[in-house]
Amino acid sequence: MSSLGVTVSTASGERTRRRRRFDAFPYLLLAPAALMMVIVNLVPIVQGFRMSMLKLNQYTLSQFMDAPYVGLRNYRGVLFDANNPVHSGMLGALRNTALYSLLVTVCAVAIGLGVALLLNRDFPGKALARTLLMLPWVVPTYVVGTLWGFMWQRDEGIVNHVLVDVLHLMDHKPFWLIGSNTFFAIVIPTVWRAWPVLMLIFLAALQAVPEELYEAARLDGANAWQRFVNITLPALKPVIVIQVMFQIIDNVYSYNIVAMMFGKGAGYPGEWGDLLMPLLTRQSFSYWRFGEGAAVSFVMMAVMLAFVAVWMKTFRRSMTDEA
Amino acid sequence: MWVMPVTTNAQHDVPALLAPWLAQHPGVTVRVTVLDWESGWNKITAAAASRRGPDLLELGTTWMPAIAAMGGLEKLSAAQLAEVGNGAPYYPELWKTTQVFGQPGVYGLPWYADVRAAFYRTDVFRQAGVDPKQAFADWDSFHAALKKINGTTVAGKRIAALAYAGKNDWNVVHNLAPWIWNAGGDVLTADAKHSALSSPQALRAIDFYSSLAVEGLVPSNALEKDSDILEGAWVGGDYGVIFSGPWLMRRIFESPAGSVVRANFDVAPYPAGPHGHATFFGGSNLAIFKGSRHKAEAWDLVKYLGGKAPQVQLALVSSMMPARIDAANDPAWTSRHPVYAKLTAIAADGRAYPPIPAWGPLESVYTKHLGQLAELSSGIADKYSLPAVKALIADTVVEADKVLEEAN
Repeated sequence: MSSLGVTVSTASGERTRRRRRFDAFPYLLLAPAALMMVIVNLVPIVQGFRMSMLKLNQYTLSQFMDAPYVGLRNYRGVLFDANNPVHSGMLGALRNTALYSLLVTVCAVAIGLGVALLLNRDFPGKALARTLLMLPWVVPTYVVGTLWGFMWQRDEGIVNHVLVDVLHLMDHKPFWLIGSNTFFAIVIPTVWRAWPVLMLIFLAALQAVPEELYEAARLDGANAWQRFVNITLPALKPVIVIQVMFQIIDNVYSYNIVAMMFGKGAGYPGEWGDLLMPLLTRQSFSYWRFGEGAAVSFVMMAVMLAFVAVWMKTFRRSMTDEA
Repeated sequence: MWVMPVTTNAQHDVPALLAPWLAQHPGVTVRVTVLDWESGWNKITAAAASRRGPDLLELGTTWMPAIAAMGGLEKLSAAQLAEVGNGAPYYPELWKTTQVFGQPGVYGLPWYADVRAAFYRTDVFRQAGVDPKQAFADWDSFHAALKKINGTTVAGKRIAALAYAGKNDWNVVHNLAPWIWNAGGDVLTADAKHSALSSPQALRAIDFYSSLAVEGLVPSNALEKDSDILEGAWVGGDYGVIFSGPWLMRRIFESPAGSVVRANFDVAPYPAGPHGHATFFGGSNLAIFKGSRHKAEAWDLVKYLGGKAPQVQLALVSSMMPARIDAANDPAWTSRHPVYAKLTAIAADGRAYPPIPAWGPLESVYTKHLGQLAELSSGIADKYSLPAVKALIADTVVEADKVLEEAN
């Protein structure tokens, strides 16, 4: 009994000592970063949420956070009121954003992976090729939008020149910046800019796959496709899953390419060229409806948080490489 | 002092403009900050909301009522107004833009003007056998002239009749407004509470203007370009006519000395519609910032820059027209090139938008929707029809009225 009592007493004393041995040093090291996160992220988010519940427009802007409180009215207006100026065209932009994000992500990941596989072997000038292939990614998105805006011009643009005059793939020069082709006019430059960085990430991941696995597979008679499906893809799965998620987030929030390609922020790219972020910028900032703009931003943020949560839950095991 | 890039080197030219005034005010230093038109609006509204900003600033004529309504600008006193002749030296339409529609008070002085006119190729008209005076007389003669000059070949180059921008441009509303006014319509109702774009007169103007593209008198590839590209193409000799402003003169003079356009161009007023030949009148004003701690000095400088000599001097370095009538008629401006005198004459029919605080949001609504006329008239899907235009304008009016509702 006494022995047991001593034992219990000792265990309790150890727990107490462990508690007392709390080391504050790591927390001190983390504190500046945590403080910065609060200042640059949390404070604006809380302020933005407050703004989404205010009647904040050009007539109340000078009152800023003291503008009249309207509760959830801004949310109701932008989501359900067909006559609300911020709501106008939102369904079309939502459709375009979903298709755009899907298409850009699939194409960029496929091209990035394909080129990474091609580069994952030794050949003369490999380093130079890898550097040159990165060029589209180092071009800022607003420059990409401006440049492709010129390239898509029907008569003077290089795209139609190549398609029609050089390759003779079409018998007439189509419009890319007017009509339904505007959708492809924004998808293609986004893919063009996005795939190189994916290629680099996939290439780094490929170089970490043990060569012994391939050698063993070859000895077992596996062909290239079987090696890709059974070794490469499973090995890259954690990276692919994360990169697909990042791509979707990036593309849902895409703004610069559309804004710069279609009049540098003027007007409206049209039924097939509008995305959610350009719509939000145009119809909240240009219309001076800041409270409603904040409400749409929060809806978008909530949707994206839900998407990330579902994605992480679905692919958690893949991402931690436990599969 | 905040200014817009009124000249190609405003950081140098504006201080040079201030030099005589500074010589008379040795104790004053003026720090000139050049904003750009894209980000300037955000910076100015942020300053107006926070009450922290410059002592004086340049504001686009359509921006001024919004910033004044936000309480960001100092209202001029009766004594100050008396010092500038209660606005009499300035073009009345521009003087109107220093005020807020339906409210008493003046918030600044007009600084320079943007006046639009038809710039045309005299050699193309000559070759096609078209008399320019007759061509710009009215809509019918203008239409007939465009048909005649369209496709004319000059020095081996096939010339398209007219260029105007489609949806990818900031000037959509400015381009269309004179046609609407000249048809007897307006962009707003008389009380400025509702959009007036669905009036039969406005619809007639919109239909006439868009039909020029449908008929191929405006090449469809122009509709995907912005004004800047089209002006460059006009200077390069691609088009017979373009509606533009005095800044185009600078571009013409900067083109190579042997350029065909440089030796063969002239300007004309807008073709008269059933209700006259008004043109778009815009530009910039100068105002004192509400939060300024040097209001007396700021007013003295605004008054100086609003004077005749500095306005002429600015016009000569910027190619923008003076906002004062006497400065716009000064020989230093009018004798520079015959076109400048013509622009001064055209300015007599200049018309500005009603100075409502909600103009900014309203113009965004108009730009968004009216730009879609390019989708209809480009000929892609043979979609153009008057009912289609009416439906587009009906959507525009609903959204515009909703934006205006906040202001009423």
